[in-house]
Amino acid sequence: MEPHREIDLVTELRALRPTPEPTFVAELDARAAAGFPRKDGGTSVRDRIASWFARVPRRRLPAVAGAAATVAIAVATAVVAISEDGSVMRTALQLDAGPRPDQPAVSRSADESGVQYSETPPTVRSLRRRIQPRGGPSHSRSSAAKAADEATATPLSFSASGPYAARAARRDVERSARIVLATEASGIRSATAQVFETVHGYDGIVMRSSVRDGSAGAAGAVFDLLIPSGKLGDALAAFSEIAEVRSRSEATLDVTAPTIGLEERLRDARATVEGLLAQLAGAETSAERESIEAELRAERRRLASLRSQLAAMQRRTHFSRVSLRIESGAAATGGGRWGVDDALDDAGRILTVAAGVTLIGLAILAPLALIGLLAWFTQRRWVRSRRERALT
Amino acid sequence: MNEAAATLEEVPRDAGLAFDQLYRSNRDDVYAYAAGLLRDRAAAEDVTAAAFERAYRNRRRFDPGRGSARAWLFAIARNAALDELRRRGRQASLVTEPLDLADPAAVQAVEQSERRLLLAKALEDLTARERELVVLKFFAGLSNAEIARVLGISESNAGTKLHRAVTKLREACDGAT
Repeated sequence: MEPHREIDLVTELRALRPTPEPTFVAELDARAAAGFPRKDGGTSVRDRIASWFARVPRRRLPAVAGAAATVAIAVATAVVAISEDGSVMRTALQLDAGPRPDQPAVSRSADESGVQYSETPPTVRSLRRRIQPRGGPSHSRSSAAKAADEATATPLSFSASGPYAARAARRDVERSARIVLATEASGIRSATAQVFETVHGYDGIVMRSSVRDGSAGAAGAVFDLLIPSGKLGDALAAFSEIAEVRSRSEATLDVTAPTIGLEERLRDARATVEGLLAQLAGAETSAERESIEAELRAERRRLASLRSQLAAMQRRTHFSRVSLRIESGAAATGGGRWGVDDALDDAGRILTVAAGVTLIGLAILAPLALIGLLAWFTQRRWVRSRRERALT
Repeated sequence: MNEAAATLEEVPRDAGLAFDQLYRSNRDDVYAYAAGLLRDRAAAEDVTAAAFERAYRNRRRFDPGRGSARAWLFAIARNAALDELRRRGRQASLVTEPLDLADPAAVQAVEQSERRLLLAKALEDLTARERELVVLKFFAGLSNAEIARVLGISESNAGTKLHRAVTKLREACDGAT
């Protein structure tokens, strides 16, 4: 290539360079000076969001995303912490059994068949620790225990709807309770004696008992008790005084419907018997009399069976089953005021739950983010490819 | 043709002032590039305006570490120009204007110089990719490095392709005479 010819070509090419019309230049200068205002106003939410994202430098986007994620995790943790603290449980309990600000977190929730167990040992223990100083095997009655007892003694309210709503004021409820006490190994015998004493004091029945001596952890006692339902709350309160309450839970089962069913069937059976007796009185032939008597015998057997069933059902509601266990071990002697260990336990639990929430969130968001990223990448490639094709 | 190189790194620091400088020093170059590629004055004006508007709205996202502001601006202009070309492809009613590369004075000059006329014809006969390279180099005044950045190719590749396009132009002119 000759240098002068190359220079000529370049010069002539530059001479062909198009220049903009002065009117266009003036208009564009004016728009540039005004900061390129949008012709259509462009004040929609979408435009604002796009504008906000456009203002954020790309290098800072990870920091912004990280800050948003941190805030989300903090909010989730706070929610979890509040829930763990029992506020939500208390609210549920208040809805169910009326407002009781001093109630411990022994949760009960009624369903169609009755009430489910819901044990919250740490909260009960924490309550006891916060309020009651640590004592020996025979603890003095604490306000936490009293509060727990009050919760027990509070009658449950039931929804006044359904076919048996008319009997809402007097429900037949079968109750049961589980309570785990903790004491030192040397105090097991003493605690066992107090349990027997308490059961008899409340006219209860010891169905089964088992006491095991030994070292801390090995020693313990187990009881299956029947306590008159009307005295269950007081009895549980008395059990709670015997030793530190490690856990306590209650359950109720509404047996109003089957009881009413049995009563109705019993009434029907009685009416049938009376009818048969009337028929028997009017029977004229011996064959007719024998037939009615046979029918009467069968009906009386049925009546007796129904009476028995009803009595059993009533016994179930009159007496409540209580499963009581006394344990010994390190945890039993670890009571006392809420301290650093408890704080670490609580913090660990909250962090664990928060980590779980975060993990679940990531499990949901990560695939979505990946799909979004792939879609964005594919769209970019597609647009770029289409642009390049425009040149061919 | 441009003093933008001095203002490139100023964009992120004082975006308003630096963008104004970027606009002033590149307005005509961007227009020349768009007009050379699209061969349509009205479309070139639209593309130029759209390119500066996009650049203005995204000025904070400019990353000096990824190239000069001028290359960044021309990459935006190129996207706008290619979008315009795509639209033309979709809309059959849009008719490309005949060759209209120069202003009236330049046309007069072309008329005066047969060689320039031949050169303009040869430029039109180039493929769109070749014409884009020539336009970026001689109309917009980009360096080979900036062209490479705009087109997303290596600098040596840009130089090679440009050389081939210029050779093709010269051969076309020489062949015609």
